[in-house]
Formats: sequence, structure tokens, C-alpha cells
Amino acid sequence: MAKTQADELAVVGKSLPKPDAMGKVSGQARFADDLMLPRMLFARILRSPLPHARIRQVDASRARAMPGVQAVLTGEDLPIKYGILPVSQDEEALCSEKVRYVGDPVAAVAATDEWIADAALEAIDVSFEALPSVMSIDEALAQPGEPIHPRGNVHKAVALEFGDTEEGLRSADHTREDVVFFEGNTHLPMEQHAAVAQYGQDGKLTVWSSTQTPHYVHRALGKVLELPMSRIRVIATPNGGGFGGKSDIFAHEIVAAKLAMVTGRPVKITLTREEVFYAHRGRHPVLMKVRTGFRRDGRITAMQFQSFLDGGGYGSYGVASTYYTGALQTATYAIPRYRFEGVRLFTNKPPCGPKRGHGTPQPRFALEVHLDKVADELGLDPVAIRRRNLVQPNSQTVNWLRITSCGLEACMDRVVADSRFLERRTAMPSGRGLGFAVSSYLSGAGTAIYWNDMPHSEVQVKVDRGGGVSVLCGAIDIGQGSDHILAAIVAEVLGVSLQDIQLTTADTDLTPIDLGSYSSRVTFMVGNAAIAAAQRVRQRLAEAAARMLHCESDELSFRGGQVGRRDHPGEAISFAQTVQAAEAGEGLISASGSYTPPKLAGPYKGSGVGPSPAYSFSAAVVEVECDPRTGEVRVPEVWIAHDIGRAINPVLVEGQVEGSVYMALGEALMEEQTFRIGVHKFPSMLEYKSPTTLEMPVVHTSLVESLDPEGPFGAKEAGQGPLLPVIPAIANAVYNALGVRIDEIPITPEKVLRALAQPSRRVGPKGVPRFAFPSPIQAARPPEWEGK
Amino acid sequence: MRSEMDVYVPRTLDEALQQKSAHPDAISLAGGTDVMVEINFGRLRPAGIIDLTRIPELREWRREDSHLFLGAGVTYSRIVRELADFVPLVQASRSVGSPQIRNRGTVGGNLGTASPAGDALPVLAAYDAEVVLQNRRGTRSLPWHTFLQGPKKTAMAPDELIRGTRWQVVNGPGSFSKIGTRNAMVIAVAGLCLQVDQDARQVRVALGSVGPTILRAPEAERFIAERLTWDDPGAPVTDEVVAEFAELVGRAAKPIDDVRGTARYRVHGCTVLAGRALRWALEERKAFKWL
Ligand SMILES: Cc1cc2nc3c(=O)[nH]c(=O)nc-3n(C[C@H](O)[C@H](O)[C@H](O)COP(=O)(O)OP(=O)(O)OC[C@H]3O[C@@H](n4cnc5c(N)ncnc54)[C@H](O)[C@@H]3O)c2cc1C
Repeated sequence: MAKTQADELAVVGKSLPKPDAMGKVSGQARFADDLMLPRMLFARILRSPLPHARIRQVDASRARAMPGVQAVLTGEDLPIKYGILPVSQDEEALCSEKVRYVGDPVAAVAATDEWIADAALEAIDVSFEALPSVMSIDEALAQPGEPIHPRGNVHKAVALEFGDTEEGLRSADHTREDVVFFEGNTHLPMEQHAAVAQYGQDGKLTVWSSTQTPHYVHRALGKVLELPMSRIRVIATPNGGGFGGKSDIFAHEIVAAKLAMVTGRPVKITLTREEVFYAHRGRHPVLMKVRTGFRRDGRITAMQFQSFLDGGGYGSYGVASTYYTGALQTATYAIPRYRFEGVRLFTNKPPCGPKRGHGTPQPRFALEVHLDKVADELGLDPVAIRRRNLVQPNSQTVNWLRITSCGLEACMDRVVADSRFLERRTAMPSGRGLGFAVSSYLSGAGTAIYWNDMPHSEVQVKVDRGGGVSVLCGAIDIGQGSDHILAAIVAEVLGVSLQDIQLTTADTDLTPIDLGSYSSRVTFMVGNAAIAAAQRVRQRLAEAAARMLHCESDELSFRGGQVGRRDHPGEAISFAQTVQAAEAGEGLISASGSYTPPKLAGPYKGSGVGPSPAYSFSAAVVEVECDPRTGEVRVPEVWIAHDIGRAINPVLVEGQVEGSVYMALGEALMEEQTFRIGVHKFPSMLEYKSPTTLEMPVVHTSLVESLDPEGPFGAKEAGQGPLLPVIPAIANAVYNALGVRIDEIPITPEKVLRALAQPSRRVGPKGVPRFAFPSPIQAARPPEWEGK
Repeated sequence: MRSEMDVYVPRTLDEALQQKSAHPDAISLAGGTDVMVEINFGRLRPAGIIDLTRIPELREWRREDSHLFLGAGVTYSRIVRELADFVPLVQASRSVGSPQIRNRGTVGGNLGTASPAGDALPVLAAYDAEVVLQNRRGTRSLPWHTFLQGPKKTAMAPDELIRGTRWQVVNGPGSFSKIGTRNAMVIAVAGLCLQVDQDARQVRVALGSVGPTILRAPEAERFIAERLTWDDPGAPVTDEVVAEFAELVGRAAKPIDDVRGTARYRVHGCTVLAGRALRWALEERKAFKWL
């Protein structure tokens, strides 16, 4: 069915080059750092050299006196605190009382060139009083000295229970507990963050920024600068990679704006690569304990999951991240009773936040490795134990997630068959192994970051007499292809070609709101808004065409730049003529469309994180080749299937899937954001190891199209989900190859050798620290689970 | 602080030597892949820069009787293309950084930086190479181990340039290998060059990244020289001999823990690399007539 419908589509479903592709490869795309304005100043930020310290005094008088220095800002110039989540307004653009990690901003300089600004930073005298620093989950809980924030080092502790899990564990035939750790890592986008700000004589502020969330930046600027939002314009420039790392409010954006206001001149600030490691907001280090009960046949009776998140110095998205470490376990497996306890701790490191898969790769690693171990104990194979527990389409999970379309089983079947997993895994040559895992992810968060009833995405479509179609939308293309999705959907509905579409995106003055490129929401939400807008325009055009063609408007088809009668192929007029006729009749033809996700949150506190209008599903088989002498792990081949709902542009989806495999490989085998005496060990691209093209395996990508009933043309997400199964599949493959369990990401050669030398054949955490979680909120279960 | 800086752009070696003696505090610049990193991070503020990239004499290599002379300014990319006979040198060159770094970086720069992780250096040590230095008054040659004095320390005088390096062309198989987290853009956790010298009846082994400077493994070298049947490449060598050799090489390493790896793993790495390098060499020795 997918096939025939796809055949009728002209643009959607076709592998086409992205509209921004040529600009990017030819150097014409204008990134934030490419912008040059007359009389522009260059700014640099002075950052804390200490992980935890009180600021006694900041003396900028020497810097202010330097020729070429136009302004110096310190904490007292920007006293209002902010944060991406309304509940975590704990950041200052420039610290005034305390610094909380090496790299925390303290002062800023605008000068006529970057070298002068750099020199001026050295002339700012800051007197610090060093405080004991907290660099790990254990240390944060031990609370040796002054806590990092006044309310203590525990940022957020949550506990939820759906059904009596103790009872579920007691009635199980078999229970197992595992403790695993996932080290933090960072996004490593190719483009460093950059922002340019200009403050006009008219009292209006414009900020260009390499951001994934122009709308949230807009709100935060209004708050911190005490300007009405109507006087601020935020323009998101093309992102040279985001991966979640540009979805926060950053000090440099606020500082550039303030400096522009103070000096009356445009100000540019581009972070150095080193600073990007401090800006961070990347993957949380998470320590996890999972305890599950099973029946003899492998069916889950209950699960208890605990996570300890090492959050870094500030809140950022951390409250959401904490909930996410417990939210999606139930989206792949039918778990009848479930308890989740999570705690996020402040430490003196760069703040963690969302990175591709936000809060879910860590628990997914824990869960998929845990299931493989249980399968071993129950004498089941890794595929069988998952089949016993698979979530069903059109069902509701115990924590109230609404599952609609679900191609999980098809994904599993595909990779298991293509890799011949079951036949080969028991007969691998020495040092070789196969591993398997599955996962699920949201197609957009069902709730906005700040509570409101307005649409999450809005699109305006305007047609002109020449046949051109302008599409305006707040969405920002971060490389994932949102520009293509917008253009393709409108082109499809109006029957014009991609080249006829003009996009204006991510400009708060010109475009209606989209909440941002995060949580894999853009295709789903922008896509639906674009369909709504384009259909309204089409309806008005159809009425004009119907008058000219003497027929009813519902007899018309829009295709190939023509509007014609479906059953009388000769009778048609061009799209441009149609526009002219409509415009002559009623004036400018333009319409807007919006998308608001259905209200899906369950009836309990904390239910806002997890619900999504649709879930994607993935399955992966990874083959590894291990060297038992050096402990090195190579990945020659990966099979991955992803339930995309419908691929609006298959080549873009494949790109997202392959990119996810690549990123997962780095996280699984080498990437780590780690510290020594409070200092980042390797804030450089040479020493922070991520894979190169030489490490990239052969990837067999299969797309499964489950045609989601609410997705635009049936589409769901692709940007994050496919990362999730790859990391545990690698760990499971290493076990298959060498018989060792590395219960700690990344799986480095040293850990493999250590495990090989140990009687337990395992490297990983021994337990979780003592922590008194609040007593869980006892949430009702959806009716279908009652009595189970 | 940005300060004014003189940049000299000599076109001939003589001009360069004169400038170096007139401005001994100016830093020589070849590919700049070490120098520019230091400058950009503010760790180096030289009074001046002498750009050596336009000097033809530094960019040559040539055979001199039974020796090879490699000009300081020959880049890794050119070594890979032009010096295929020198297998370990080519393998080391190919493992440096990325194509961009190999297009700029030079062996002279590797020597000038004198990092224990310099990939060309174990090869020069296993070749028993000498480093040719030159100032306005003339040239002198120092054995590699006299030139390399410690981490980032050399015997070069402030008015000298590295002219190049010279070694006796060796008859026998050899290899360079390194351990690192990935296959490109990686500073070695451990590097090893093994060179069999059929004529001198020696097996020379040099280690990188596992000590304050490049180390040879003399005990291991003596051990294996006595165990090989030099006149009969086909004579078998037992696994025990290879293992003991590897063990002895491991013992020669003097590593420390750092962000790239622990000392233990590095010693272990040397052992594994040594065993493998010896096996490859023995196999190759069988297949070819080195005699
Ligand atoms: C991203 C990156 C990756 C790297 N990867 C590797 C790697 O994998 N392996 C490795 O070994 N190195 C690596 N390096 C380091 C560097 O590329 C090498 O050390 C290279 O050999 C330096 O050569 P150069 O010509 O660029 O030296 P330059 O930076 O120009 O000079 C280095 C030093 O040598 C001195 N010098 C240079 N030529 C002369 C001369 N003729 N006479 C006197 N002094 C001289 C300079 O004064 C300076 O002190 C890497 C560097 C970068 C930036």
C-alpha cells in the first residue's frame, strides 16, 4: 500500500538533493561566523580557570584602558538569571558570585579586533577564592564542602511507580540486577557556536546565532536584557551541526547582544574549539541499576530502574534529561509494572544537556545489555527474549505512552535476516562477534519547554503571480534537512517543483513560530503545519481554477505545475495562471497552518516527559572484530533498520541513520568528556577521539515504512532514534566475540584487556551509591494493564 | 597579547643561515604543524619567524653511496610517494595526522619538536640515523640519540638549522606500527619500529611514546641477534623466543600515565607490537633473498 501511494506522489518519497546542499558544499552558505557588518567589533569571553570558586573581585580597569577595547562586561552588567527550563533559572551570562566549572564565563571584552580582545582578557584581574570541587556522582553525594548551588548538590530527584513492582518481582521465576555506567561525551559539531548582534538607533536588537532554538533564545534575551520581545529579532543561521549542542541559551549570545547595546556597534563572537567543549550541554554521565523479573518463558513481570546523572554545574535541560532516563524503557517492551527513580547531581564540570537521543541512550544501553544477559540465563536467544516482550501497535504503555504505528517487529526481522544473526552468532570465528539491540524514540516532545496552549509549529504559505511559492517557518535546518521537508511538502500539495519554492526560515520578525530543532520534532510538527497551510492555499486556488475550467474544485488535481481536471487530462491551466485568477478575484493569496500535538500526558506528576504523537523504532545488528592481545575493537559491518513511518526523502533518512551509526560508534568505543583535577583532559579535536572515515563500517540501512496515521504523509522521526540500538549492540557483540562484559561506555582497549584478565570477565561499576530517593508517586496504570 | 613579529622569508640556504645567526631567537618554521599550534594557543611567542619552506636545498633527498640523505623539509606526503623502498619510514609517514598534516609536516619538524610521540623518530632511531645540523660556519652530524636530549629538547644550537638526516641504507625487512584510538589523527599511545640489518647481523628496535624520548631496546636486540640463524632465513624461530623478545622490548619501555593511556597499557602495547613486528620480519626474511 505504501508503494502505490508513493507512486502517486511527485516529490514526497523521492530521493532528491537538499535545497541547501549546493550552498554548503560550494561555500556559499552564510554561517554566523561568515557575517561581517560595517564597524563590527569582536568579542571574547574570560572563563574561569578553577572548577569551583567564589569570585572576590573583578578588576577590569587595565583592560578598559587598552587602545582598541570598546567595552568590558562583568557579572554586575547582566545580573538576571536564566535557563532553558522555567524550573532551572540558575545561570548567569557572566558569573558574579561563584564559578562552577573550568570554562564558566566571568567577563567579556569587545574590541576592534580579536587579538586585542584576547590581550584585554589577560588584563582583567580576577581574584578567586578556591572552593573544594566535586567531580563525580559519589563526590556530589558525599558533599565534602560548600554545595555547588545553595540548595545542595542534588539538583532533582524523582520517583514514579506504575503498579506494585515489588510484588511483580516476587512473583517472577527469575530476577536479575545489573549496574552499568555510561561516561559523558560531547556533540563535536563541525561548526563552533557563533553569534552576531546589532543594536539599531531605533532601539531594536538583532541577533544572528548558530542556534537550534531561536524562539527560546528570543525569550531569554527579552528576560535578561529587559527588552520587550517585540524589540528583539533573532535569526538562526544555518547550523554546521547541532546534535543538541546548540539548543540551549548560551552566555555568548547574551554577551554579544549586551555588548552591541553598550557600544552601539555590531559585535561578533565565535567560540574557539576549546570553548565549545566548555559550552557542552552534552551527554550526561549516568550510573544505572536495573532490576527485572521474568517468567520462565522470558516475559517481563516488573522492572525497577534507577539512574544517577552527573549533571555538571547548572540545570540546563537536566530535569527533562532525568525523566528521559526512565521514560522510554516501556516504549519497546510491554512492561506491566514499572518503577523509575532518578537523581541528577551538580558537579563542577561543564553542564550536561541534550545530545542526540537526549537521556535515552544511557538507559537503552543498560536495558539492552541486561536483556542479553537474562536471555543467556534463561537459555533464550537475544531475539527470542525481545519478541516475548514486544510492544504492540495501537497500545498504551504502563506509563501512559500512546503507541500508534509501530514497525519494531519488521525492523527486527529485517536486520536479523539480513545479517543472518541467529545462524552466525553461535559460529563466529575467534575474536569476532555479533550483537543485537532495539530501541524507540519520540517524534517530537508532546509538551513545550514552557507551559502554554499555543501551537508548536506554524507555517505560512504565500503564492505570487509568477507562480513562485514563499514558505515561511520558524524551523531551522541544522543539517537534518528541515528545509527540504518544508519545501517538499508544500511542493507536493501544490503540484509545483521544488525549485518554485522560496524558503524563509528561523527569523522571529518574519516567520511564524517553530519551537526549534530538538526532540526530533520538526518533520512531524512542521510537516503537519505545512500541509495545513498548503491545503488552505490550494483550496482557494482550486476555486479560482474551477471557475476557469468550468468544473467543481474537488475535480481538480495539482501536478507538474498544472492545475487540471483529474478525469479530463487535456483541460488544465498553469499554476501561475491559477494564481493570477485567484489574486484577481480576492487579492493576495496566502494562508497559514499550525500544528499542536494532542494532549497525551498521563494523569501523574512528571508525565510531561515521554509523550509524543508518534514513536520511531529501530533495530541493529553489529559485527565486531576484537584483538584479544591489544583489546582493540573494530566494527566492520552494521545492519540497521529504522521505522520512519514514511521517508519523505529516503536519501536524507539514510543520511540520518548512517550519521547516527557513526556517532554511536564514537560513543561506544572512544569518546569521553573526562577531567583531571577539575580540568577537561582534552578540549581539542585531535585528542578528544571520535571516529574518522577510516573507522566507518559498511552500513546496511533498511527503512521500514509503517505509515503513521498522524504523521505528515505518514512520516516519523529519523534524527536521533537510530543512534540508540547501536551502542548496546556493540557491547553485546564484544561479549559474543570474547566472552567479556564491558558494562561501562566507552568500551576502550584497556577495559577489554582488564576484563579478559579478570575471573569475572567483567569491567563495570560494582554498585550504586546510597541515596534516599523520595517515595515514589504511585501512578494509576492505564485500564489495559490493570490486574497484570 | 599580540606583539609585532618579524617574519623572514629566505630564498636560499645561505640567506636562511645568515638570518638564523643574526636572529637566534627567531623560530624556524617548516610545515608549521607544530609551531602554529603553539602560537595559536598562546604557548609560544617567538620574537620572529624564519620561514624555511622556500629553500630548495631543504626539500631534497638523495642517495649518497650507501647512504640516504633526507632533507629536513621533505614532507610526509612526498616520503609516501617517493621513498617506497624505505618501508618503515613510509609506514610511519602514512600514520601521521591526516592528509592535510602530511602535506605540510616534515621530518625536520618532527626532529625539531623532538616529542617522544614523533612518529618519524623511532624509524630514524632504528636506522641508526644521524642528524645533520648547519650554521653559517659549517655542518656537523650528531647521532640521533645525541641530538634528541629529552622531551622537546635537542642538541641544536640557536644559530643552527636542521639540514636533514642521513642513514646507511639497511639490507633487511622492517616495519613501523603504532597503537592509538583510531586509524588517523592519532598521537601514538605506543609506537615501534623494528629493522633487521642483515649485513650487520642486528635487529634494531626503537620505541616511541613510552619514555621521555625515543628508546632503543638493547637487551632485546642482543637477545634476538644471538637467537637468529643469520645465514639461513628459513631456520625456524620458536614462539618462546618471539615471546621472550617481546617481553624484553616491553621492559625497555619507561612510560607514564597520561590522558592518552596508562603506563601499564603502554608497556603491554610495546610487547604486542614487538612480537608482531618480529613475526612479520621473520616471514618477510624467508620470502626474499636478503643474503
Ligand atoms: C592535527 C595534527 C596531527 C598530528 N599528528 C601527528 C602524528 O600522527 N604523528 C606525529 O609524529 N606528529 C603529528 N603531529 C605533529 C606534527 O605534524 C609533526 O611533528 C611534524 O613532523 C612537524 O613538522 P612541521 O614541518 O610542520 O614542523 P614545524 O611546526 O614547522 O616545526 C616544528 C619544530 O621544528 C623546528 N624546525 C622545523 N624545521 C626545522 C629546520 N629545518 N631546522 C631547525 N628547526 C626546524 C621548528 O622551529 C619547530 O620547533 C600532528 C600535528 C597536528 C596539528
